[in-house]
Amino acid sequence: MVGDKVKNRDKFPPVSDGKSQYDLYSGKYLKVWQGPQHPGITGNMSLELVTSGDQVVEARTHVGYLHRGFEKLMERRKYIQCFPLVCRICVPEPDFNEHLFAECTEELAGITVPERAQWLRALTLEMARLTSFLMWIGGQAGSFGMGTLGQWTVTMRDYMLDLFEELSGGRIYHMYIIPGGVRSDIPEGYFSRVEETLQKVEHVLDDIELALFHNAVFKKRAKGLGIIDPSLVDLYGITGPNARASGISRDVRKDSSYLIYDQLDFQPVTDVGGDAYARTWVRFQEMYQSIDLIRQMMHRMPESGPFFTKLPNVLHWKIPAGQTYKRAECTRGEYGFFMVSDGSEYPRRVAVRGPSYTHAVTLMERLAVGANIADVAGLMVSLHTYPPEIER
Amino acid sequence: MSIKDIIAPFSVWKRAFEKPYTSKRPIDERPGAARYRGFHINDMATCIGCGTCEEICQNAAIDMVPVSKTKHGDSGLRPMIDYGRCCWCALCVDICPSGSLGMSNEYIWVDSDPEVFRFIPGQDNKSWNDSSLGYRRAEGYDLLEGERVAMPMLSFEESQKSFIEMVQGYSEEQAKREADRCVACGICIATCPAHMKVPDYIEAIREGDMEEGLRIVYQANPLPASCGRVCSHACEYVCAVKHKGEALSIRWLKRYIIDQIYKNDYQKILDEIPEENGRHIAVIGSGPGGLSAAYYLRLLGYAVTVYDANEKAGGMLRYGIPEYRLPYEQVDKDIIYIEGLGVTIEQDTRIGVDLPLTDLYKKHDAIFFSTGLTDPYGLNIAGEDLKGVMSGLGMLDDVTQGKTPEIGSSVVVIGGGNVAMDAARTSRRYEADVTILYRRREADMPADEEEVEEAQGEGCQLITQAIPLRLEKGDKTRLRLYWGRAEMVPDGEGRRPKPVLVEGSEELIECDTVIPAIGQAADYSFIPEELLSSIEFTRGYVKVNEFYQTGDKKIFAGGDIANSKRDAISAIANGHSAAKGIDIYLKNFKEEVSRD
Amino acid sequence: MRTQLQQVSTRFSITLIDELAPERDDLLFVQVEKDQAVPFLTWLQELAGYTHLVFFTAVDFIEEGYFQLTYMVHDYSTHQDLAVLLKLDREDPVVESIHHLWPHAATYQQEMYEMYGIEFPGSPRLHDDFVLEGWDDLPPMRRDFDTRQYSEDTYFPRGGRKSRDTAEYMKEQLYPGEAETW
Ligand SMILES: Cc1cc2nc3c(=O)[nH]c(=O)nc-3n(C[C@H](O)[C@H](O)[C@H](O)COP(=O)(O)OP(=O)(O)OC[C@H]3O[C@@H](n4cnc5c(N)ncnc54)[C@H](O)[C@@H]3O)c2cc1C
Ligand code: SF4
Ligand code: SF4
Repeated sequence: MVGDKVKNRDKFPPVSDGKSQYDLYSGKYLKVWQGPQHPGITGNMSLELVTSGDQVVEARTHVGYLHRGFEKLMERRKYIQCFPLVCRICVPEPDFNEHLFAECTEELAGITVPERAQWLRALTLEMARLTSFLMWIGGQAGSFGMGTLGQWTVTMRDYMLDLFEELSGGRIYHMYIIPGGVRSDIPEGYFSRVEETLQKVEHVLDDIELALFHNAVFKKRAKGLGIIDPSLVDLYGITGPNARASGISRDVRKDSSYLIYDQLDFQPVTDVGGDAYARTWVRFQEMYQSIDLIRQMMHRMPESGPFFTKLPNVLHWKIPAGQTYKRAECTRGEYGFFMVSDGSEYPRRVAVRGPSYTHAVTLMERLAVGANIADVAGLMVSLHTYPPEIER
Repeated sequence: MSIKDIIAPFSVWKRAFEKPYTSKRPIDERPGAARYRGFHINDMATCIGCGTCEEICQNAAIDMVPVSKTKHGDSGLRPMIDYGRCCWCALCVDICPSGSLGMSNEYIWVDSDPEVFRFIPGQDNKSWNDSSLGYRRAEGYDLLEGERVAMPMLSFEESQKSFIEMVQGYSEEQAKREADRCVACGICIATCPAHMKVPDYIEAIREGDMEEGLRIVYQANPLPASCGRVCSHACEYVCAVKHKGEALSIRWLKRYIIDQIYKNDYQKILDEIPEENGRHIAVIGSGPGGLSAAYYLRLLGYAVTVYDANEKAGGMLRYGIPEYRLPYEQVDKDIIYIEGLGVTIEQDTRIGVDLPLTDLYKKHDAIFFSTGLTDPYGLNIAGEDLKGVMSGLGMLDDVTQGKTPEIGSSVVVIGGGNVAMDAARTSRRYEADVTILYRRREADMPADEEEVEEAQGEGCQLITQAIPLRLEKGDKTRLRLYWGRAEMVPDGEGRRPKPVLVEGSEELIECDTVIPAIGQAADYSFIPEELLSSIEFTRGYVKVNEFYQTGDKKIFAGGDIANSKRDAISAIANGHSAAKGIDIYLKNFKEEVSRD
Repeated sequence: MRTQLQQVSTRFSITLIDELAPERDDLLFVQVEKDQAVPFLTWLQELAGYTHLVFFTAVDFIEEGYFQLTYMVHDYSTHQDLAVLLKLDREDPVVESIHHLWPHAATYQQEMYEMYGIEFPGSPRLHDDFVLEGWDDLPPMRRDFDTRQYSEDTYFPRGGRKSRDTAEYMKEQLYPGEAETW
């Protein structure tokens, strides 16, 4: 499956089902630790690579460098007190945690959220997607030696963070989507500033297209790297752009629409390459898609209205016993919250399903085999993994 | 791969001339956004030290620390924030009931000493203390409910027609919803004269555990059916939630608990009755003070006999407060349980008349008296002894005894306290037109706010800043009341302005009855000379120590004659304290005896 | 889906639990017996269209003495979720692995072994450290593992912190001598 890209295949150990058939401990192989601080690996994670020459013959991923025990902490906190916690589960795209936590809590508590809050939630989620992609693309380019691109996009990300700061009072952890609605309405003239920033971002994206997608180096290295065969998609729990780049058109925003997504016009972005290049391209297109969706929302959102529903007193809010699962389409794929309430003031269990959980571990371990060691970082970033959501 | 792929990347060289997004400190300032969640600010004067911010903080970043003496409705504590823990979530700001807590948009602060990052916002001098920017709770978003669950009540048209209880009581759903608003800060505990554990019994309501609620209530108040209706609710005036609008309906929640429990079930739920310890205490007066003392003394193991001059027990709860506020059967509910514990009540026994106090003094180990205020003050104006002038107390007493008061068709009530309101509203129930004259402003009226509002709602006309001048016999009506306008004159700092007659102003009301209800005094004539000498009095009050002991070691006193608040709950608290005082006194006394 | 499940309910001894998500038409809860879990999941994956294992996790119901295993599977053609619940005795927390059905289940199982002490015999690298390197205490996601106690025993609390209870403080200040305090 690794494909014909690897010439002289016979020079390397035979691989079956992603596993080496050779005794890797014979002394013929070199073990290399990549990470936990490797810049190519977004976040703290490490790869234990067994190489033969410059080729990877076995890979193991290791997490555990930023375990904060959020799921456990939540069991010891009242529902409202979980609200400031959840956003921290995934640093570059915190809003999905807020949204899903709120939705699960609301469903179990039987609370409906005003329409305007739904629009504002969707708006922040889409802005978060764009912001997260801007960070990712810097990593993607950087992992192939094009660090400069990251500097442009991280600047753009900062402009996006300015918008979040203005809206919510926080740059990284917005703590904006709260059970019951959102914490405030948009400030005066906000949309015009959003539009201004979007135009700046578009401008940079156009340059990136030239610098990245029409770049011989990038093409040579990313094409054919880490091909995901469509047959692997369900087997490995692959979702989001990783699946869409292998021709599988699935998008939670469309398939299990939430908030107001069913009122927007968009089609899932797909490609058929299945390799790092295709994945990068899909995400790149999705950035334009996000920009478009943000604009649609700014135009279609109701002018005004309540943005918060009164909750029972949050200091002693008991939520009826029940269980639920909610999902949303974050930049990396299916993000989900499974919440169990036992009827008390504290959640019995909140389990977070981050897409990186499958992408960065089992899938990565499989795709890395046969890759050139220099491409491993690029491969990893092309799966767009965020370790914090793996170990919560 | 095409030639474009080699060339295209170079086309973006132009970006080298793009302005970078950086700022040079300290040349460039980059203030946080208007809503930025930066260092906290706290308005020290508005903060009430309720600790709700500490309660919600999931990071345990807040400590409540003393900054001043406690004031009315203010614990004197203030939040100290440990920025080594704070995650800037601003939930503390969102929940703050007084709205004192906010955040500035300041976020840059460098220091090598980590200890400085723990401070009391508002107290410690910080450059951002006066920042008008930064995070505040947005309009339209609120974590607490400032509005009270409306109490089902008879309409004013209905209520003034009969003595049916006006306040109808919460349903379970309503009580739970109201109980849910509590933030459990406990400021009310300090303010309640009896220091009832309010947040605890409110929690019992939320939990639906009425038995636990009853136990908590009886720890500090053995007359809850009555208090749940007529208590002066000092607690509600300081409730943290009141800062958002309306206070928790503490009094009616207490009533809700009592209403849920059938009187014969009390015995099963509450404390076991202890064996009698062989000592016997006499209590004079079966008002709230006397009954409370009797209850707690009995729980402490003493045999108790209560002596009361009236036909029935309850004191002013029964003979003063009218039935539409406090039905007699509710007074009975409280009393029956106390009697059930073995407390004997000797009715129709006026001490000093039917039985000399000295007898009791000899027969009993200690005496507690709470004889209340029985002598109404006069108006001290001409014509006061004309027919048609009757005291508020006397009129209410008549009604309790089943007599129809002879008030005619128009009544003027003089006074602004509860007695005045009760007399006025009772008169409405006998279909009289009622005018209330009060010498100060409406805000100064000592009666409960609700009382004043309901009196007006039922059609009583309120005239404030009015001073009665003289009474004359009328022709169309029984009486002619002349009164003058008063103006409010400042009376020194810290004192409320006093009413002074506007020279030459004079108005007339023609009416059948004038009811003075401007206060009442105690009658100590039942105390014989030999005991009186050791008991001290100050301005009409019996002087007692912290154990509610008078100058005579064996005699204790409480209630309206011993406290300036002059309400039922203070009398109850006095009775409780005195019971414990008597217990301490008698135990120590025994030791003294054995040492001899 | 409901009818399809009802048809196989005796075959796999499953029970539908409607009360858990009564409002949702895209989420169904079903309870399965331990020995039928893998056959049932195989059937779901291969024949019933539930090809996507969304997640696999445990919930500790310590008071009732069991772990609730939750296999959340998803059918992409109908966009339906099915939560397969399994009550696993806390005293004997061993259950068949499903990594042969979905390779990434191995990661969930590795984590569950570490966090709850649940055994999945045959699951690859089950006993390797996942997140917690060198952990020798109780599996920390078990309800009886006391996080606060652990942190108090392991770390140093910051000195100088002291808070006062509002009601207690007011009592000390305002009425230390009155009845209540005796
Ligand atoms: C009209 C009216 C309305 C009120 N409304 C409220 C209200 O809404 N809320 C509130 O909290 N408070 C209210 N109060 C005040 C409250 O009723 C009193 O503060 C409270 O009853 C005082 O209790 P006590 O035990 O001191 O005396 P009292 O209740 O006055 O009881 C004294 C008892 O002692 C008996 N007694 C007196 N002398 C002798 C004697 N020599 N021998 C034997 N027995 C004797 C009397 O017969 C009486 O039963 C009201 C009072 C009045 C008059
Ligand atoms: S919640 Fe507000 S009023 Fe209460 S102590 Fe904190 S800052 Fe003060
Ligand atoms: S901002 Fe949040 S973390 Fe900080 S003190 Fe307030 S509640 Fe605690």
